[in-house]
Amino acid sequence: MKKKLAFIFALAFALFIGWGALTPTTAQAATDDSLSQVQKKGKLVMGTSPDYPPYEFQATVHGKSKIVGMDVAVGQKIAKDLGVKLVVKSMSFDSLLVALQTGKVDMVISGMNPTPARKKNVDFTHLYYQGGYSIVVNKSEKGLYKDKDSFKGKTIGAQTGSTMFNETKKQTTGTKVKGMTSVSDLILALQSHKIDGVAMEKPSAQAYVANNKQLAMIPSHFDLSSSDTSAAVAFKKGSTSLVNAANKSVDQIRKQNLVNKKYLPAAGKHLKTNTVNTSMWHYWKAFLTGVKYTLIITVCSVFFGFILGVILSLARMAHGGVLKTGLRWLATAYVEFIRGTPMMVQVMFVYFGLGLIVNLPALTSGIIAISLNSGAYIAEYIRGGINSVDEGQTEAARSLGLTSASTLRYVVLPQALKNIWPSLGNEFITLIKDSSIVSIIGVSELIFQSNIVRSDTYRGVAPIAVIMVLYFIMTFTASRILNYFERRMQHD
Amino acid sequence: MTKPIIEVKNLAKNFDKNVVLKDITEQVDPGQVVVVIGPSGSGKSTFLRCLNLLETPTSGQVSFDGQDLTTLDTKRVNALREEMGMVFQSFNLFPNMSVLENIKLAPMKVKGMGNDEATKLAHQLLQQVNLDDHADAFPTSLSGGQAQRVAIARALAMNPKVMLFDEPTSALDPEMVGEVLNVMQDLAAQGMTMVVVTHEMGFAKSVADRVWFMDDGYIQENSTPADFFAHPKTDRAKDFLSKILM
Ligand SMILES: Nc1ncnc2c1ncn2[C@@H]1O[C@H](COP(=O)(O)OP(=O)(O)O)[C@@H](O)[C@H]1O
Ligand SMILES: [Mg+2]
Repeated sequence: MKKKLAFIFALAFALFIGWGALTPTTAQAATDDSLSQVQKKGKLVMGTSPDYPPYEFQATVHGKSKIVGMDVAVGQKIAKDLGVKLVVKSMSFDSLLVALQTGKVDMVISGMNPTPARKKNVDFTHLYYQGGYSIVVNKSEKGLYKDKDSFKGKTIGAQTGSTMFNETKKQTTGTKVKGMTSVSDLILALQSHKIDGVAMEKPSAQAYVANNKQLAMIPSHFDLSSSDTSAAVAFKKGSTSLVNAANKSVDQIRKQNLVNKKYLPAAGKHLKTNTVNTSMWHYWKAFLTGVKYTLIITVCSVFFGFILGVILSLARMAHGGVLKTGLRWLATAYVEFIRGTPMMVQVMFVYFGLGLIVNLPALTSGIIAISLNSGAYIAEYIRGGINSVDEGQTEAARSLGLTSASTLRYVVLPQALKNIWPSLGNEFITLIKDSSIVSIIGVSELIFQSNIVRSDTYRGVAPIAVIMVLYFIMTFTASRILNYFERRMQHD
Repeated sequence: MTKPIIEVKNLAKNFDKNVVLKDITEQVDPGQVVVVIGPSGSGKSTFLRCLNLLETPTSGQVSFDGQDLTTLDTKRVNALREEMGMVFQSFNLFPNMSVLENIKLAPMKVKGMGNDEATKLAHQLLQQVNLDDHADAFPTSLSGGQAQRVAIARALAMNPKVMLFDEPTSALDPEMVGEVLNVMQDLAAQGMTMVVVTHEMGFAKSVADRVWFMDDGYIQENSTPADFFAHPKTDRAKDFLSKILM
């Protein structure tokens, strides 16, 4: 699943890079106004994947959930030096570079190593931090392992799309490498003995070990070039003026050793306050936000999906002239296409792909994508429902002089709807669950929120149990309500 | 001499290779009751449905009030259908509406009649078919005979000039046939022009002005009921009558 995710992202990324290659980037470089653009906007949008303490993570500051960490401090310094406001946008690590390419964010600071492959696609600043890799293991098994070479026949986990993942693959023999999107998942896998070690950057490893008594760390002894073990700020390719400006801040950070002296200690403090109270009650607000967004997405998507579904189903049943045949053909193609592609890809396409034309917020993109998807399925239900209405009904209505539109509206559709009500209800309940897919573009629905709570509290299972219960409450309530209306319709 | 209200000229209809109506030329005068009989599958329903263009004729003409329907656009066809009420074998009441709403729908949506007026009209028609106490019932709770009477009232609500009946009593239990035929008989007595496909020979004998015997895609005989039942001319009609009157 996670592998597939990474693959899809890689594909989407390749697509956009390819796209970029086709459009004349030289013209862009010639008129590089990236710096003045940011200054004109008055804000600098930073993309990050906040599940990687102490680089970036969620903390509760004055009762509010906030993204903090040393990378955020770096971002703040750059923004301050440019005289603009910093806006932090969170999303999964895999989608960061796509977001940068498509202008969803101005820069990426997410413990990202400036590898040669990445350098081809984005521009990096100088290094703001140079660390190293460690491997986190279960404390009870610490004696078994010395470094990366002790894992023959075992499994090491690493964040998908990260440098560690690639290097672990390259530099171990006889060791399986398991990729997952978030470090919290990896730690959970480690504690449940699905994997035997987790490769991550040293500061992260320290944070996890300090906050979780069951974990220990060992040196990795990976043979790495400095670009592999260090972090830099990424900007869109060709934004030289912005990179140069940011480099001034980065150089200061290095010269004054700000990361070690100020940023890491500050992050450490947040980590402490974070883990003081890891009770799930403490995070009820985060879960509530998740429930709220999940419901917003579901209700809006079913609503718009239904309207789209009616239109599509009618178009699919249009008969007659060239225009109607064309319409039918189009609607059929749309339905087949949507049903034949994963919703996840559709969500990414709307967010990143349409993002090239209009800059839509993640929530709007998510609702659009899921409505477009749901419309195709609802169209098929409605078509089936209309076909299930006896032909004699239409004939009776037409014989009374009703137009075909009135016949549809007053006679056929009401009966069709009653027939397909259970299917529509199922679609609604499915969407409550499937809307979780928009977590990949950073919408704070329930899954996304639970991931935040998990990396916040270093507790892997409890948040999952909580959202499981919450999902069940939502779907169960929804199905009760739908049943009630179904029974009422039967009375008529 | 009165002008015919329905005039059919060289009407032919086929479904792909299946030639159902071959060549029909007949006419119906205002106030006339025509009963169409014939073996099952001989094309009686298809013929009736060609009259109000629920089926599009393959060739030939169908005129109503002197107007050739086959040349009309959709809008005019809709307008024409108001003038011809149709009653189906399977009632085809709208199950999502009450009896009253079934009757009110077309006057309100097609003629733009107001709610009060339509309600008044519906009650009047329900009284006419003896069902006013069922105004708020839903179709599923009605017996077949009641449902068919509601269907007749529904068709009458558009104040049609002609009523088409396609085997209105064939789906009914025997004890309910009478109540529907009585309503039809009353209608005929009031001077309604009617084209009725039926197997009720008693109704044909006592109510019809003309009997059309249909077989093999043609109207084989067009006579008065007395003539037809006493002296059928064709072998096909003799054969049909011998089977039906056994
Ligand atoms: N919509 C249709 N499509 C194809 N064939 C049809 C259709 N309606 C009727 N037919 C065919 O036309 C013939 C006459 O049917 P119908 O008019 O219903 O006869 P009747 O009412 O006299 O029993 C039958 O062979 C039937 O199969
Ligand atoms: Mg028939």
